[in-house]
Amino acid sequence: MSDTSTQNPDAVADVLSAREAYNAGLARSGARGRSWTVAAIVLILLIALPALQFVGNYNYALHMALYTLMYVAMASSWNILGGYTGYVSLGHNVFFCIGGYVSGMILAKMGVSTLITAPLAGLVAAAVGVGVGTITLRMRGPTFIISSIALLMIVRILFDNWGYVGGANGVTLPVTDLDVRWAKIPYYYAMLVIALLAVVASYRIKHSKFGLGLRAISQDEVKAESAGIDTATYKVAAFAVSAFFVGMTGAIWGEYLTYLRPNIFLIILVAAYMVLMCIIGGKGTVTGPIVGAILIVAFNEFFAATLGASEINILATGLIMVLVLLYFPLGVVGTLAQKGRLPRFLDWD
Amino acid sequence: MLRVEGLCKHFGGIRAVDQCSFEIAKGSISALIGPNGAGKTTAFNCISRTMEPTAGKVWLDGKRIDHLKPHKVTRLGLSRTFQITRSLEDLTVLENLCVQATSHGFARLVGPSISEEERAKAEEILDFLGISRLAYEQARNLSYGQRKLMDFAALLMSDPKIILLDEPAGGVNPRLLDDIVEHIRALHARGLTVLIVEHNMELVMSLCEHIVVMAQGRVIADGPPDAIKANPEVLEAYLGASTAAEETSDAEAAHV
Repeated sequence: MSDTSTQNPDAVADVLSAREAYNAGLARSGARGRSWTVAAIVLILLIALPALQFVGNYNYALHMALYTLMYVAMASSWNILGGYTGYVSLGHNVFFCIGGYVSGMILAKMGVSTLITAPLAGLVAAAVGVGVGTITLRMRGPTFIISSIALLMIVRILFDNWGYVGGANGVTLPVTDLDVRWAKIPYYYAMLVIALLAVVASYRIKHSKFGLGLRAISQDEVKAESAGIDTATYKVAAFAVSAFFVGMTGAIWGEYLTYLRPNIFLIILVAAYMVLMCIIGGKGTVTGPIVGAILIVAFNEFFAATLGASEINILATGLIMVLVLLYFPLGVVGTLAQKGRLPRFLDWD
Repeated sequence: MLRVEGLCKHFGGIRAVDQCSFEIAKGSISALIGPNGAGKTTAFNCISRTMEPTAGKVWLDGKRIDHLKPHKVTRLGLSRTFQITRSLEDLTVLENLCVQATSHGFARLVGPSISEEERAKAEEILDFLGISRLAYEQARNLSYGQRKLMDFAALLMSDPKIILLDEPAGGVNPRLLDDIVEHIRALHARGLTVLIVEHNMELVMSLCEHIVVMAQGRVIADGPPDAIKANPEVLEAYLGASTAAEETSDAEAAHV
């Protein structure tokens, strides 16, 4: 409250004009346009990447790109629930598993490729998400986190002992007929499409009324509810959307690996990666999960290559994460945005 | 407009609200007063459904609302503020307001977070309250008084028929308080029904035409300010002994 009557008029005018400039700045940064150039270039490069196979064997590069895209999709979907809505799920790989098994079993029994059935796998994962979310999203904070871990354990026991899907030994899937040079390409493009859809969905949600409601829930659920937001439905919807994309990635990943086994989908590391990528990149930002996925996959790979597949490489990755969080407490994108130093091509919030 | 009958809220053995009944007339400014711990805020919470009442019925415009979820109550036209302001810290003031906007259809949900109409309406409300310069500021950067005003602004976004204000004067400087009173009067003049919980007796007595007094969870008096001032039970509840009415209001004003 500025009380102008009792003070020196010059000083007041200064303060007021400074205030106006500051507010104009805030309004401008709110209305700032998007930078499409870098996004378009990255997308074109990703589409063109498999062309490398014409000039040599770049299967390793393709694999790494595919793996990163998979985590971009998963972290971006996790972010819808964990970042925007503030519900940290440590059992999100359950949907990865469900997607993998739904499409994988269809492939094993009927021979239909997961490339076709992936959307179905996503829908099944989303349906399970609605069922699970209706129950577990009544809990808040740490209780919800524990319930998500419990879900993971229950599903792990279920799949380890379910004879129809091969129990702990899993199921072997038919191998593609494609030549080894081209074998990765369909899965690569599938992951690219899923990652793109997940990021676009995440962006659209962030800027929608629905997203505003989710962000309100993450800030103060009681207030959000008394503001007229149907919090229960919003949360379940966010959970379902989030599960949908994770389920689709699971479907593709299963066929890509040519086998299904509970211990590729249902280890807590997969869920932990989704969480860590969002935290390192910037929870609740659109580009944070992308940056986080690239950073974590890159560090993991770098240390696995230089330090060998020992425990030391995991330690090194952990150390890097601690360092990143020391200097970027809100994640790379989040902290840069707060300081006003975020490059425009990363600013999609 | 708002009718409460036999409202109870028990926390274990404590009867925070006990068989509380009152009625608020359409277009009135009413106050719910009482000493600390009388159950005023709990009654508020039960009416707005932020809390599940143990028993009792609540009608809004002749429609039972005591079984509804909080967001449904808000959409029916009953909006409230909180005693300790609750703002959505990471959101801008504009976003804080638009969270409370009225449109909820599916088509609206996938639309932009703030539509042009909402922006215009929010700016109009912020103008009315004299804080339009804060529109793009994050709520976390606001002072306590500004938060009170923002809460008040958000309330108006939902086009309420009745507003429940929990201590609008609590912790607010005297000048801002005058502003808030003026705003309440202006809204009342537009036909809004207002129910406030307040400790500032001067404010209550000058602003309100109907007062409900609670003590230990029960309604002990209900009537116009003059009758309340003269009611010996009310004085006893406040001061523990019979004292002149003027002293009551002075003591309360000093207390706040």
